[in-house]
Amino acid sequence: MATGGDSNLEAGKLEFSLDVPFPSSHEALIALRSLSPDQEPRRGGISKQLSVSGSTLSVRWSADEARILRVSVSSFLDHLSLVIETMEMFGPSLLCDAAQVC
Amino acid sequence: MQSILCFFFPATMTVVIGFEGSANKIGVGIIRDGEVLSNPRRTYITPPGQGFMPSDTARHHRAVILTVLKEALEEAGLKPADIDCVAYTKGPGMGAPLVTVAIVARTVAQLWGKPLLGVNHCIGHIEMGRLITKASNPTVLYVSGGNTQVIAYSERRYRIFGETIDIAVGNCLDRFARVIKISNDPSPGYNIEQMAKTGTQYVELPYTVKGMDVSFSGILSYIEEAANKMLSSGQCTAADLCFSLQETVFAMLVEITERAMAHCSSQEVLIVGGVGCNLRLQEMMGVMCEERGAKLFATDDRFCIDNGAMIAQAGWEMFQSGQVTELEDSWITQRYRTDEVEVTWRD
Repeated sequence: MATGGDSNLEAGKLEFSLDVPFPSSHEALIALRSLSPDQEPRRGGISKQLSVSGSTLSVRWSADEARILRVSVSSFLDHLSLVIETMEMFGPSLLCDAAQVC
Repeated sequence: MQSILCFFFPATMTVVIGFEGSANKIGVGIIRDGEVLSNPRRTYITPPGQGFMPSDTARHHRAVILTVLKEALEEAGLKPADIDCVAYTKGPGMGAPLVTVAIVARTVAQLWGKPLLGVNHCIGHIEMGRLITKASNPTVLYVSGGNTQVIAYSERRYRIFGETIDIAVGNCLDRFARVIKISNDPSPGYNIEQMAKTGTQYVELPYTVKGMDVSFSGILSYIEEAANKMLSSGQCTAADLCFSLQETVFAMLVEITERAMAHCSSQEVLIVGGVGCNLRLQEMMGVMCEERGAKLFATDDRFCIDNGAMIAQAGWEMFQSGQVTELEDSWITQRYRTDEVEVTWRD
């Protein structure tokens, strides 16, 4: 499922990618659906693509400036931690593997 | 006969959990068919002279939201399986805090296998006010740190009859509190209300009603300058300024509410939103209502100030009328007008 901007790097753009392992595809898909509805602002100089392959959530950023990229990645990690904590506290099973990323 | 039927076919109760965090309060409330089962809340309080910034507020909400959620379930004595629907604030409000709360709502909805429902924050206030006070079809004054609107229901919309053309009345009060370094604990507005009680001298301020609308930014600039000059020269006290500001802005709100009532031939007023728990505002509105033979409805700080149960209550109404929000449509929005929502649960 990992597609998107992998092969067509736009000229002058900064690219950043992150892979997050989950215990199973079930948790990875929950995280995907929780984290994808809020899009990056249009004309904000940044785009973000989320996808799931197996039990891995992959995120790819493409940004005009490092400053904008840092803000987006940092806030994504805050949100990801919150999703994982929520799964740990209110989900049916323990997510020890995923907890390592936070 | 009816009781026997009820025994064999118990009417199923609908339980909705509501998540609210559009400003500096984070709350989770649970409603079961009009009954508030739990409604815990935390407030992000900044030092005197400082407002709350979106990213700091979001950090606060992230740190406590799961504890508040746990409290809400425990206090209600419910398990996730007992919940029928997960409601959250879609907007309006500050982006970063809204996203934080929406993410937790989306995650638990999926973990528990329950439908999700995005709620307009203003509609939450109105429906909670209607539930608590039993006002059937009131003219609504919605006053808080982010909103100032006079609203009446007509033809499946809560229609805005008048509103602020710049800042909200609560924002005017909060920012004045910052100028004279009044504490933000429990809220700047509460502390202004207490100080105003000892004010004796009325300092004349601009009175800015524009038809059905109001403006507060000019009053704020004026009183900021007056505070700097008059307090240092001893011409008046901080209490006098609190008193004068309250009298002026509340008189403006009462005026536009009365005009909206006249337009709609309404005999009920409901005050909602954080500023709505100010007893001086309630008193002034009460005098106007008495003169018109109308009835005033207001609630206390538990339900006036942002809370989770109000989102659960509006969510309950929406859910009962058949609405749900798909995950991919569950984005938050900082701007979301009261009259954008089709009211599918009222005639």
